[in-house]
Amino acid sequence: MSAMREAVTGTYLDSFLYTIKLSALSALLGAICGALLTAAVMRVERPAWARQVVSSFAGVAANLGGIPLAFAFLATLGTQGLVTKALSWFGMDLVGAGFTISNFAGITVVYLYFQIPLMFLVTLPAFEGLRPTWREAAANLGASPTRYWRHVGLPILAPSLLGGFLLLFANAFSAYATAYALSSGGARLIPVQIRFFLQGNTITGKDNLGYAMAAWMIIIMVAVMGAYLLFRRRSEQWQP
Amino acid sequence: MATVISRSKTPLWAWVVITLAAIFFILPMLAMARFAFQRVPVALLGRNTLFDRWTLDGLVDMFRDPDFRPALWLSLRISVLTVALTLLVMLPTALWVNVQAPRLRSMVETATLLPYVVPPIALVVGAGGAFRNLAPWFLRSDYCLVPFYAVLAMPFTFRSLDTGLRSIDLKTLIEASRSLGAPMPTTLLRIVVPNITSALSGTIFLTITVVLGEFTIASLLLKPTLPLYMSYSQGRNPQGALGLAVLLLALTTLLFFAATRLRRRGAERYTIRIGAMP
Repeated sequence: MSAMREAVTGTYLDSFLYTIKLSALSALLGAICGALLTAAVMRVERPAWARQVVSSFAGVAANLGGIPLAFAFLATLGTQGLVTKALSWFGMDLVGAGFTISNFAGITVVYLYFQIPLMFLVTLPAFEGLRPTWREAAANLGASPTRYWRHVGLPILAPSLLGGFLLLFANAFSAYATAYALSSGGARLIPVQIRFFLQGNTITGKDNLGYAMAAWMIIIMVAVMGAYLLFRRRSEQWQP
Repeated sequence: MATVISRSKTPLWAWVVITLAAIFFILPMLAMARFAFQRVPVALLGRNTLFDRWTLDGLVDMFRDPDFRPALWLSLRISVLTVALTLLVMLPTALWVNVQAPRLRSMVETATLLPYVVPPIALVVGAGGAFRNLAPWFLRSDYCLVPFYAVLAMPFTFRSLDTGLRSIDLKTLIEASRSLGAPMPTTLLRIVVPNITSALSGTIFLTITVVLGEFTIASLLLKPTLPLYMSYSQGRNPQGALGLAVLLLALTTLLFFAATRLRRRGAERYTIRIGAMP
């Protein structure tokens, strides 16, 4: 049990907090952008195939990850990246502004690549469950669009938005390959740390720490996913 | 006469959001493809050099690399075995849930979501710890990845098979076949399987995408699969590594599209409710 305690003290606690902060931020941004994208796609009625195309691509992008994603962003926002260079022509210095693809902000941006489409896939059924008649009824009763969203739309969407946030959090929390490839194993993320302990078996007595960290990870994941399933059950009651 | 409330047309903000999203999602892919196939440093890229020196050399060098082929073969062998294991385990499970125990469906479905709760890294740590003492030969074999990958693919494979089985009148088919005297294996192979071919191919495609994309477990168990090779060769031949990434992405995208296509044909109302595992 002492390993369990040691895994959440000192620098290891810092790693946990770092990972949780990163997951929470990428989940929050992913949830907001994903919900916005869903709302935008829902407003597109023509061409009719547009929604289908976005859904299909979201399915692909949400499952994207690992090494190819890291490569793509290194080529885009790395020190020799296309966008980094393009911005420097306009006099904007990304690296000077404290942005590197392997630091906190960088990993967050990269994670958004799979977080936003995942949010889209999770919330699309809820958005589709918003009946047009409710909007029309609200409009007939004199409610402005803002009022409609505040009193009808958002309360109905709330469980699925919160559930989506939790799913995104869990998703970022367990991601490993992308972060590993972005920062060559030097990141402070918990999954990368676990690898260090598992392979550094020469430090005697420390490999228990790897197990303890993995156990803590599972505990956090069970809590988050349990809450997610509760929200999901609640959000499904409005869906056709 | 009922008044028809006209739907407003797509507002400007929606197009802005969609355009920004499209840029965010397409640009990294273009940047990666450019890096992989164009030998012009970013600093020199401009209007004059945009079409210069596009080449497949990086990729060709990689194909010539003596380590590439073994990695490719290993990934292909593991794909085939994972597909076999998945069908061997998940098809009977899905059948059993659909025929014998429909009430257990939600339980089984929740169980197949295990990889969403136990991160791959924790899975490999736990299983590694257990097998190191019980059966050390297991982790030494390259094929020890197969059960891990079958587990990782479970959320996709079970749903795909389950949807396929739900879309046909399974009970009637089985009863008709049995009453005509066919033994269970014949019923399975000649009646059930031909009726769910699209769900089966979808399952196979999704399993292959999982195997071709997985890095965490292979890297912790030090198995030289294709994704691992790609990651390690980034230092030696970055162009080739990125070219390979582009190829793998294109392949998995195709497989994924094919799988969802097939699934849509199999069941109209199917929606993906739960997503990914990077």
